[in-house]
Amino acid sequence: MPKSRVTRRALLAGAAPLVAAGPLAKLAFGEDDRLATHLGHDHVHSNLGHAAMIGAEVPAVGGPHDLDELTIPPPALPHQPGRVREYELVAVDRSVEIAPGIEFPAWTYNGTVPGPVIRATEDDLLRVRFTNGGTHPHTIHFHGIHPADMDGVFEIVGPGETFTYEFPARPYGMHLYHCHATPLKKHIHKGLYGAFIVDPPEPRPPAQELVMVMNGFDTDGDGGNNFYTVNGRSFFFAKHPITVSRSRTVRVYLANLTEFDLINSFHLHGDFFRYYPTGRDEPVLFTDTVMQCQGERGIIEIDFANTGLFMFHAHQSEFAELGWMGFFNVVD
Amino acid sequence: MDGILQRRRLGDWRLWALVPIVLLVGAVSLFTASGESVTGLLGQSAPQPDEFEIRRVEFHPGEIRIRVTNPQQDDLTIASVAVDDAIVPYRVDGNATLSRLRSSTVVVPYDWVQDEPISVGVTSSTGIETTEEIAAAVPTPGVTARAFLGYAIIGALVGILPVALGLLWLPSLRRAAPSWLAAFMALTAGLLTFLALEALAEALELQGALPGALGGPGLVLLGVAASYLALTAISHRFSRGGASASGLALAFLVAIGIGLHNLGEGLAIGSSFALGELALGTFLIVGFMVHNVTEGLGIAAPVAEGRKAAGLATLAALVLVAGAPTIPGAWLGGFVTSDVLGVVFFAAAAGAALQVVFEVIRYVARTAPGGLTSPFVLGGYLAGVLVMYLTGLWSG
Repeated sequence: MPKSRVTRRALLAGAAPLVAAGPLAKLAFGEDDRLATHLGHDHVHSNLGHAAMIGAEVPAVGGPHDLDELTIPPPALPHQPGRVREYELVAVDRSVEIAPGIEFPAWTYNGTVPGPVIRATEDDLLRVRFTNGGTHPHTIHFHGIHPADMDGVFEIVGPGETFTYEFPARPYGMHLYHCHATPLKKHIHKGLYGAFIVDPPEPRPPAQELVMVMNGFDTDGDGGNNFYTVNGRSFFFAKHPITVSRSRTVRVYLANLTEFDLINSFHLHGDFFRYYPTGRDEPVLFTDTVMQCQGERGIIEIDFANTGLFMFHAHQSEFAELGWMGFFNVVD
Repeated sequence: MDGILQRRRLGDWRLWALVPIVLLVGAVSLFTASGESVTGLLGQSAPQPDEFEIRRVEFHPGEIRIRVTNPQQDDLTIASVAVDDAIVPYRVDGNATLSRLRSSTVVVPYDWVQDEPISVGVTSSTGIETTEEIAAAVPTPGVTARAFLGYAIIGALVGILPVALGLLWLPSLRRAAPSWLAAFMALTAGLLTFLALEALAEALELQGALPGALGGPGLVLLGVAASYLALTAISHRFSRGGASASGLALAFLVAIGIGLHNLGEGLAIGSSFALGELALGTFLIVGFMVHNVTEGLGIAAPVAEGRKAAGLATLAALVLVAGAPTIPGAWLGGFVTSDVLGVVFFAAAAGAALQVVFEVIRYVARTAPGGLTSPFVLGGYLAGVLVMYLTGLWSG
């Protein structure tokens, strides 16, 4: 254990300044207050133990819109074969605050864990310019169908170097990307991963779309996670419930990038959802709980029957109580 | 003239004594001013462990209180608290950021389950978690009159009562032949040797669990040496410059040695009980009682040797000196609990017991028919160790 601490702290000390800001391909979204609202104090049942894990009492970092960029995907574009979609990713060593006062010395794409959501429509030409601004060699390995020399396994990008990944986006579905430099376990749990959505030629029905990347953080270097989150901050959506509408389908692009643990899961309270493994074709499940191994992903579609606060969390109680827990605030 | 010269020389000596200290201060400030330019030659130094020391965990209705100390050089900040690996809301009584050796209390509203094992974890801002496993969560006695009385009664039961009972061997000893009396004196030496070793082992074990900044075998040595020397001084005063203490004076020395041991024993009982580590059942209390009756015998032997009638008040004083410290020990352990105090108490007990062993042996060597090598003395000493070992099995 002390050995891994040394590594962790030494890296923290030597972490490069954040250079990912302004000039990068920013996955910018306009003002969007669909996502999170402050929970009124009348909802807060404070005081005793676990009951306090909602609202202002919850130990979560930041304000209600802090995770909008990672949670609300850029809009889907209509099918137009050959169109070029350009993204710019920079690997940055950066300390991220995953729980109040807890800094994790992360390796990030563009400064966040998970990295930015990359979205394209099937048959778009995806062009991702990758610059390694970190202190270790990195790559980007996309899940999907592409040439061997675009796989992010052999083209190791050293610190200060640049590589451009270019391939047609296919097949449509919910995918992911992550660093494939060795040691793989280290490069993934340090934070180099993100969601990769490829939209079908025939657009999906309109819905309120959300991205949730399930992950964990091993802060003491003992090979086990100390905190679990979706999109990088423990208990964030418990403090800031996601406001959704009962009259509109909620579509969650869900991926599991949790290191160390064999599986992670998503459980919805008070309702059921359709689950499309890997975001393909017909739903194979109508359920309230799905399980994903690392690298597995899929699409969840919820048509809420009732209004009110509905919890969602990992159905591994331990993960839930270490941060992977949140609420939908369903309104009419 | 001579006196003035001598005084001047004395002054010179003291002044010169300051020179190395002044130079040391200079060297230290030069080194610290140089920053990391010297250690930097060796590369980057390892980071601090960022672990807290969890001093005490208390269980109150609907609430857990965790006393944490920063044992390292750098500041440490309390950033997250978990109970049984689940993050919980908490507040900090005192500062959340602790400088070296500072403490705060973390208060967690929590519906804990009585008698079940529980773990608490405090995570620093660098993500390092310090966990403390509690064998069984039991309500921590509050500082109430009832609790005071409870610890006092337990202290009296395991400290005062058995010593008083042991002292009742006095009439029997008074009638014993000198060689038998020598055997009992040797028995006293044997049981005190046992107590000294036991206390030393306890002190070293507790010390091992302390964070480096607080502990170290040096702390044990300090306690042993201080109490040994203090008792030597007292013994010197008692014997009024004579060869060695004898009779009542020796009995008081024995009582002091035993009393210091019982102070540590009380502390251990009190803190183990308060921390839910000890099921303080009848069996255990009976064990301590049986064990400690022999301590009374140890005091009775030198009194009997004295041949001078000892009044009831004197005997009562002996009992209190030897037995009563168990009560404040139990209070300290139950209400404050500090492993540092435990180390100091047990080390002091070891030093005192050891000093009294030598005192008794010198006395026996001087008075026993046949000297130290008589079968009565050898047998008595071994019997003392054996009796303590056997009765100790009850309280182990």
